[in-house]
Amino acid sequence: MAYVSMGEAHRRITEYLNRFCGAVSYQDSPMLCRLLSFSSNSPSLLSLADALNVFQDASILIRQSDKFSEYGEILAHLFRSLQSYRFGNLVEAYLAFEKFANAFVQEFRNWESAWALEALYVVCYEIRILAEKADKELTSNGKSPEKLKAAGSLLMKVFGVLAGKGPKRVGALYVTCQLFKTYFKLGTVNLCRSVIRSIETARIFDYEEFPRRDKVTYMYYTGRLEVFNENFPAADTKLSYALQHCNPKRERNIRMILKYLIPVKLSLGIIPKDELLQKYNLHEYMNVVQALRKGDLRLLRHALQEHEDRFLRSGVYLVLEKLELQVYQRLMKKIYIIQKLSDPARAHQLKLEVIAKALRWLEIDMDLDEVECIMTILIYKNLVKGYLAHKSKVVVLSKQDPFPKLNGKPVGS
Amino acid sequence: MAAEQKATKEEVKMDLFEDDDEFEEFEINQDWVENEEQVKEVGLQWEDDWDDDDVSDDFSHQLRKELETISADKK
Repeated sequence: MAYVSMGEAHRRITEYLNRFCGAVSYQDSPMLCRLLSFSSNSPSLLSLADALNVFQDASILIRQSDKFSEYGEILAHLFRSLQSYRFGNLVEAYLAFEKFANAFVQEFRNWESAWALEALYVVCYEIRILAEKADKELTSNGKSPEKLKAAGSLLMKVFGVLAGKGPKRVGALYVTCQLFKTYFKLGTVNLCRSVIRSIETARIFDYEEFPRRDKVTYMYYTGRLEVFNENFPAADTKLSYALQHCNPKRERNIRMILKYLIPVKLSLGIIPKDELLQKYNLHEYMNVVQALRKGDLRLLRHALQEHEDRFLRSGVYLVLEKLELQVYQRLMKKIYIIQKLSDPARAHQLKLEVIAKALRWLEIDMDLDEVECIMTILIYKNLVKGYLAHKSKVVVLSKQDPFPKLNGKPVGS
Repeated sequence: MAAEQKATKEEVKMDLFEDDDEFEEFEINQDWVENEEQVKEVGLQWEDDWDDDDVSDDFSHQLRKELETISADKK
């Protein structure tokens, strides 16, 4: 912590106060944003924190002028938070920032126009980040983390303030996305439902009015939720939107979208090109794609095992596991085509014992009853068109289109 | 009791730092230019007609050999 003289401290604090009040008077949102971005660790904020530490009681300075004391409560909490932040007391910093945020939001409500919307975004972002840091501090001290949850409540309050008829309503989607990030981190994704319902059904919102960058983030998270719920067509629509409209320079974000979109596309019978997997470093999907292309069940199992932890963490394991049926379909088709080459007249008859032999070669041990069971499922799900001649232990394939393509629809729909 | 509490704390810790895939923030006051290139690129990323009748790959060759040994056994 740098040494600061009383005089210099006085100067710095007064300068900040002037900037803050000036920003509000002149509705200078970018300036206000800079004054509130703790996480930017800007030199001016850090030097202000040092000054506050030296001066001890900045409220004297605030009270000195009517101009400053109008925002006395807001500034007092803000200063306290900044000081705690500088000292690394993140729980204290969070608590003071929460008070600041509440006071700021009250003031924001009174400003008729939406001039301070971006500054409000900064407040929402900062409170979430501070809450995460505060919770880390709590858990490292053996205490129960609860600040991120509290930040979630505050964000909901902000959402409520923006959910009105005026121009401020275009900010609601940004706050929604902050809520998503909060809930996903907490693992309470069920709480997303109510805010999604507001965005998508409330009449005050016109989805098209929202800024594109917020729509991209929104579609990413709601797309992920659709993946969890296995609504693949909806997941495809949303994640594809996010992919198409995401800033192309933000490769990490694009990679994240693809991480969830690829299993969805595979479930719809669409595969990613190798170049795509290479470009965005999604090697974990390469063997899965190959397995589907070839009908190689052993490769699929191997691929799932090899990256089991990764797939489980992102929640796509079950989606990929279910691709097994499609790989079976591909394998059956290969057997059929191979049979056609040597004996076209009887190619449409797949003997269960031939299938069993192929499976055994792929290290899948099944007796004929189990093979029959799998074939029944494939037929039931319309992956194979035909019928089972149980007595002769043969699958008789339809002469027309015995292996219907998914055509962008999920299996069995 | 103490062991239980510790266990829940471990669980809580796990949940706390979950979500490796948090979307990065976009700059607030900047918007990016969307162009035709980007939209076209998406179309070039996926294949939906990969399910062909081609059995010239290694896997298919080996499968064919495997199936032929069945008919050989039968003869």
